[in-house]
Amino acid sequence: MFESVRSILFALCLCVVCGGLLAAASTGLQERQKRNIMIDRQKNILKAVGLGDNEKKMTPSVIEDLYSKHIISIQVDNSGNSITESESKKNVGRTLPLYLYKKGNVIEGYIIPINSKGLWGDIEGYLALKNDGATISGFTVCRHAETPGLGGEIEQSWFQKNFVGKKITDMGGEFVSVAVAKGKAAERISPEQRINYVDGISGATLTGNYLTQGFREVLAEYEPVSVTFRNKKKYCLINKSVPWCKYEPEKK
Amino acid sequence: MNLKKSKIYKIISGPVWGSNPISIQMLGICSALAVTVQLKTAVVMGLSMTFVISFSSMIISLMRNIMPRNIRIIVELSVIASLVIITDEFLRAYFYDMSRQLSVFVGLIITNCIILGRAEAFALSNPPHLAFIDGIGNGIGYGSVLIIVAFFRELLGSGKFFGVKVIPESFYAAGYEDMGFMLLAPAAFIIIGLLVWLQNAVSEDKPDS
Repeated sequence: MFESVRSILFALCLCVVCGGLLAAASTGLQERQKRNIMIDRQKNILKAVGLGDNEKKMTPSVIEDLYSKHIISIQVDNSGNSITESESKKNVGRTLPLYLYKKGNVIEGYIIPINSKGLWGDIEGYLALKNDGATISGFTVCRHAETPGLGGEIEQSWFQKNFVGKKITDMGGEFVSVAVAKGKAAERISPEQRINYVDGISGATLTGNYLTQGFREVLAEYEPVSVTFRNKKKYCLINKSVPWCKYEPEKK
Repeated sequence: MNLKKSKIYKIISGPVWGSNPISIQMLGICSALAVTVQLKTAVVMGLSMTFVISFSSMIISLMRNIMPRNIRIIVELSVIASLVIITDEFLRAYFYDMSRQLSVFVGLIITNCIILGRAEAFALSNPPHLAFIDGIGNGIGYGSVLIIVAFFRELLGSGKFFGVKVIPESFYAAGYEDMGFMLLAPAAFIIIGLLVWLQNAVSEDKPDS
């Protein structure tokens, strides 16, 4: 009797001490961890548009600087129009976050946050498209729970590099999304469709399938934005009064 | 004094060489395969492991006389798990990229049999300072094998040393190629196997081991 009471008391004390320590560590370090996660997101957005490839020089301040210089975060509604924050509060419909990549006075492209299901958990990443509204300029993954070494390879650059130059439209310019092939795209996919497929990861067919599905859903949602870019309307997604944001198609 | 010195020396040198947790006792191989693609991750993993094992051994040794025997495994696991979570949180706050690369493997230190093994075999029957030193010795033993394996895997697999290219471009121009196999888990098995062979061959000459 005495022995079991002692055990329970000991266990209780241990729980309190361990719990206290963990709570202290968690709250004490939370601030820094949140900042790290934010910087990591910004770094992924920059990486998606091909900025800051040189990882070693990417200190947090460099990232924040590049980000504020090149990236504009806006909200768009279902039909692809940009809306201000006060409007989005009134608006009952869903608003979609969108990032614009500007270089000088030109919007070079836009970045879509990808939120996809994965095999073991959600996959979060960023897909950057050029201002033609069809060509992918980069893809990054910032959070996933796939099997390390198999599906986890989606965070590796060899996989992400495959996306560069692929298109989300078919030969006729119609939206088809981008997909992960099962195995090598060059062997499995007919030549005219290859532009919409990237090489899959062997041993991670399911991760590829989930990602394909995620791309299709998210890109379909953002299709109005892509159409805006594709039509090369002289249309500004942010605010028409700001001079640099008047979207000018490339002059050749 | 001399005796104590030799005892401490024995406690440290044992796990580093004679009873190395990986190459002699074959414990903790799983994580040794996973984090040894690069030297950097191997070093951080070795340090995290050394921290967890030395402090968990010390804390468990401190409690060894008041700990109720019937819940001792639970107590040991709570101590180890708490330390691992603190390590994980710390890495995420100060070495974010590193913690991303180590992903689940820091968390999996909890299941590393070396730690619970040392707690049961050593910390429960020895005073705290010796348990702490034993933990450090085991951490070094584990970490050093990781670093040796990572050295070969990084050098042969990607031609780098701590992320810096060391194989000159002229080699690649002459037809040298990085061994892609070294980046896969089976390569670590082979290197660990060779290490075990080497160690056995060397220590055969010594009658005391």
